[in-house]
Amino acid sequence: MWRPTNVDRPTGVFIGLIIVSLVLVTVDLRASGAGLGGTLREGAQAVFTPIQRVVSSGARPVVDFFEDLSDIFSLRGENRRLRTEVIELERSLDEARGLELRIAELEAILGLEPPEELDSVVAQVLAVGVSEFDHSRVIDRGRADGITVDMPVVDEGGLIGRIIATTDEVARVRLITDPSIRVAVRIERTGETGVLTGRGSSPMVLEMFNTDAAVVEGDTLITADGRFPAGIPVGRVLEPARSEVGFSLRTTAEPTAQTTRIDLVRVLVFTRDQVGIQDLEELERPPIVIPSEEEPAEGESEEGLPTETSIPTGEGEGQGVTGGADEQGGEGGGGGG
Amino acid sequence: MNTALKYRRVAVTILSIIAAVALQTTLFVRLRPFDAAPALVILVVIGLARHLPSELALLTGFSAGLLEDLLSQSPLGLWALTLTTVAYFVVRVRDRMEEDFSLLAPFVFALTLGAITLFAVLGTIFGEKTLADAGFVRKILVPSIYNLALAGAVLPFFTWALGARAASSPYQT
Repeated sequence: MWRPTNVDRPTGVFIGLIIVSLVLVTVDLRASGAGLGGTLREGAQAVFTPIQRVVSSGARPVVDFFEDLSDIFSLRGENRRLRTEVIELERSLDEARGLELRIAELEAILGLEPPEELDSVVAQVLAVGVSEFDHSRVIDRGRADGITVDMPVVDEGGLIGRIIATTDEVARVRLITDPSIRVAVRIERTGETGVLTGRGSSPMVLEMFNTDAAVVEGDTLITADGRFPAGIPVGRVLEPARSEVGFSLRTTAEPTAQTTRIDLVRVLVFTRDQVGIQDLEELERPPIVIPSEEEPAEGESEEGLPTETSIPTGEGEGQGVTGGADEQGGEGGGGGG
Repeated sequence: MNTALKYRRVAVTILSIIAAVALQTTLFVRLRPFDAAPALVILVVIGLARHLPSELALLTGFSAGLLEDLLSQSPLGLWALTLTTVAYFVVRVRDRMEEDFSLLAPFVFALTLGAITLFAVLGTIFGEKTLADAGFVRKILVPSIYNLALAGAVLPFFTWALGARAASSPYQT
């Protein structure tokens, strides 16, 4: 018969530590990553940042050496491709300059104010997540540089992710490839909207709302209005979309940004506009009451017979391209910062 | 075990864990062949747990895991649970391993594979989307292969650094 005295000491300690771990997990999940867990995380990151800076600066030459070594074989082809690209870009630049002048003239005629450019903070990636399943990066700029949670992060290719946690000195970026991230996107060519979902290191999944709209290989996806500023390149469609049980078009896309070799990034000083914030706030409120079109019955006030309608959560049904469309599926719990 | 050796082991343990976590998070920012990196912290826990007294080995696994949890977005305690389990497995089988690398190498590979799988499964149970990662198989296989390759250098280092050969009985509990 089993008795507690049958358990040897290492096994007893092991069981005790497992119980402590499970309690920690439960408490942290209950607090949604905030509370004591959040404070401890921020403290640990603040203490560990100087160590990471030292190791990172020491490791950088080694990493550069190996990276150069791996690049050396592809240099000739890369050089040829870049020369062609320079010629095309110079031509595009000339056209853009002409268009800029023309737009400025038209704005002057119509008395319009030119749109303000977003400010940005340049940062360098300091650290990666501790495991292969941690799709986040730590950058060397934090609250002291004006970075706050939810700001979008881009590189020369396009959108990389968004800020999910900050300390005074560093910030954590969740990459768009994280399975819990969903980005509201628009196809640049057609203007059709959909949602892009990360799948780790595999191509992302694109779901289009309009089942009749053609999606072809090579289509560029840009952010739609919402959590991120509109118009940032996000991905490129890898294969033509196919209809999935008649509800949505589904295909795969790859990020336009180099998410596996991120080094320098720009944090856009952008917070959701008022409309987006209102949308998100309303998600937590009781359902909106929309008056029925039917005539009120006799004896009832005109405010009677309400029809309750829930705002789409963006998680499952009808994700409109508003602030709520960029839902972060699993971020509420431990995944959230 | 004399006092100097005890202090040496504690110092080596603390410094190794900090160094492993620092290297894991900084060295592999861009250096990621096949889009994966070795699981250094798991390897270091295996290396340490082979020579530390049982309770200290388990606490080492727990502490290393907790540090990883604090520096990541996974629920606090998830890595702690995983690495405590790794340390426990090592404590249970270490006296059959000795220094025979032909036995140690497959053991390191299997333990790394098991640890990452355990983390992924527990993560999914606790609301993370680890198993939703389409590259799941590659993400557990490639780091295990890297650990297998690194084990030949890392494990003998800890045998030397912890003074395991000098101690009368490195496996005393």
